[in-house]
Amino acid sequence: MDIDEKDKYELENRNENSINYQEPVLSSDWQFGGANLTSAGMSLVPSGNPLAIGSCPSASVADSFGSNLWEHPSISQNLGFCGINVHNGASSSNAMGIGKGTLTSLRSNIDRPFDMGWNTTGILQQSLSQLPADSAFIERAARFSSFNGGSFSDMVSPFGMPESMSLYTRGVGLMAGTEDMFAVNGMKSVFGVESQKSKLNAIEATRDACLQVENRAIESPLENGRKSESLVRANEETKQGTGGSGNESDEAEFSGRDGGQDEPSSFDGTGGEPSAKSLSSKKRKRSLQDAEIDQAKGGRPLTEAAKDGAENQQKGDQKQTTTTNKTTGKQGTPASHPPKEEYIHVRARRGQATNSHSLAERVRREKISERMKFLQDLVPGCSKVTGKAVMLDEIINYVQSLQRQVEFLSMKLATVNPRLDFNIEGLLAKDIIQSQAGPSSTHPDLSVGYPSLHLSQPGLVQAALPVMGNNADVMRRSLTSHLTSMTGGLKLPNQLSNTWEDELHNVVQMNYGTSAPSDSLNVNEPQPSGNTKVEL
Amino acid sequence: MNKYNPPRMNPSSLRSRFATRFLRSLSEINAQKPTASSSSPTEIFRRYRRIKVAADKSMAYSVRSRRTWSRAMLWKLRTRPCGRRSVKTSTIVRKTRHEKQNKNTTTATTTGEDGVVSGVEADELRELVPGGEAMDLYNLLDETAHYIKCLTTQVQVMKKIADFYSP
Repeated sequence: MDIDEKDKYELENRNENSINYQEPVLSSDWQFGGANLTSAGMSLVPSGNPLAIGSCPSASVADSFGSNLWEHPSISQNLGFCGINVHNGASSSNAMGIGKGTLTSLRSNIDRPFDMGWNTTGILQQSLSQLPADSAFIERAARFSSFNGGSFSDMVSPFGMPESMSLYTRGVGLMAGTEDMFAVNGMKSVFGVESQKSKLNAIEATRDACLQVENRAIESPLENGRKSESLVRANEETKQGTGGSGNESDEAEFSGRDGGQDEPSSFDGTGGEPSAKSLSSKKRKRSLQDAEIDQAKGGRPLTEAAKDGAENQQKGDQKQTTTTNKTTGKQGTPASHPPKEEYIHVRARRGQATNSHSLAERVRREKISERMKFLQDLVPGCSKVTGKAVMLDEIINYVQSLQRQVEFLSMKLATVNPRLDFNIEGLLAKDIIQSQAGPSSTHPDLSVGYPSLHLSQPGLVQAALPVMGNNADVMRRSLTSHLTSMTGGLKLPNQLSNTWEDELHNVVQMNYGTSAPSDSLNVNEPQPSGNTKVEL
Repeated sequence: MNKYNPPRMNPSSLRSRFATRFLRSLSEINAQKPTASSSSPTEIFRRYRRIKVAADKSMAYSVRSRRTWSRAMLWKLRTRPCGRRSVKTSTIVRKTRHEKQNKNTTTATTTGEDGVVSGVEADELRELVPGGEAMDLYNLLDETAHYIKCLTTQVQVMKKIADFYSP
């Protein structure tokens, strides 16, 4: 699940993609990091993979390339990754002066080997040679692969071929470098970005990725969310840093690009950690800011985010929104087991800004709308109402009416009850348990009516059951009918009880405060005296 | 004979808790009342106030401090009777409370992004729900939901009691 979300996240980042995002089939074991790279590599294999991503419009070579490259995240092997994002970004991004032709050739080269199942070493090397790969880039890729190798143990890789995977990543990285689009998945580190502006961001991204990978190895799968969170932050930062290399696409691309270039030294798995830490700390600050907002939500996010996550997953590919709760590690130590925090990790939806503020805003809005739906169920008669404003009005009216009813009832109790001695046990038996066994103690004043009470228990039960409002009249009528039928002795002030009934009826049918309860209260004033007289 | 044994309610449900407390306080209030001027409007009004306070208090105590609105209501009820004496302290306490709550609040008014929700209505809701002044919209809706549930319980129980005694 986390993996899925993570991938989705990446997809989101890539967004703007005309290509259909497909939720990668992620195995829960997917452990991020190197795995992603692998999948990225794997995504190169167009055939035989159930990925249907497919809609990559081959409008441009880059696009097609990207799409083919990355569109097979849902590799059956469940490497789970979703390189889709990368290419999405890539496609939308302006080709940065890299020969797309080379890319196509690369792709073809790569595809084949991938089809063969990871025997692309030779081909990759070919492609490598074709690409204007920097030595630095290769270094980075190598480091990255080594890094991946380290974390492979944790990764669930059906292939179990770390080396080949690393090769792939290298190749992929190269391709990415050429493409610019490679900003893929969290790994950003992956590949070759050419924009220098994004260099720093890339470093951050990579480091973050490294950090994440490392953490992944150590921490629970929940860490994914954290990583994606930091990824989001990283993206944002990179975006800001680079100012967008002319792409509307997400920063992820940039960061990916940057990562490719900047990886060299930072990419080392271990070496990258400390720097990653520092970098991620920057990002964390941002995420912390957002977290503060989330913290206000209290415990809700946990359940809701989980729920949202589930819901989002169900939403399918189109919307890559995922909110997941993760244990956000305190940014300090990569290997630490962070305490559970209420962090909401959000993935930018396709076509939406990925600014941290807008993301948090969106999360907030979603939560609010969810609450509104819940309230809609609570408030009777609000199912047809749509729109927050009207809904809020209804809720306000309902709360007001309930408060007025409480006042009215307390007034009624004040007037009615003084003449009676309370029999708490009897009342408790009736009211609390809704009809529990008959009143054990006799009520002096109601002794005459006692049998009626007994007999009217079913009536009371019925009365107790209905919800206030609609059934008040029924309740009242049943009660009075029972009493009148049963008791001859008690001088039931039918008229008065009917009046009370009518008044309550009015109150109940006020429909949430449209009528003035003061009227009923005023009417009640003179009545009680009359009532007491009669009943006494 | 009339062996009607309906299913038992949960004895520790909100309804039971509230009903127990409210009935107790109601009997206390009724016990205090001297029979003399019980039918005078003023006396009735006084009793009405006390019963209303008892109802609110019973409900707030049934919910304990699990909810912001119940805490706010309890606090209000505690300081209300001796409001004159401890006005100063209450204001200070209120300020600190608000500060604490403000820390967690996001902007109360709606922004354009939020679209539909208007700040005016949210403020109205805040006035209605006790303790809602210092909550952001999301928590406010949460509290409102729980408050509505408790209010309906309150109304049901009180209605049953009133029905029991009205005829």
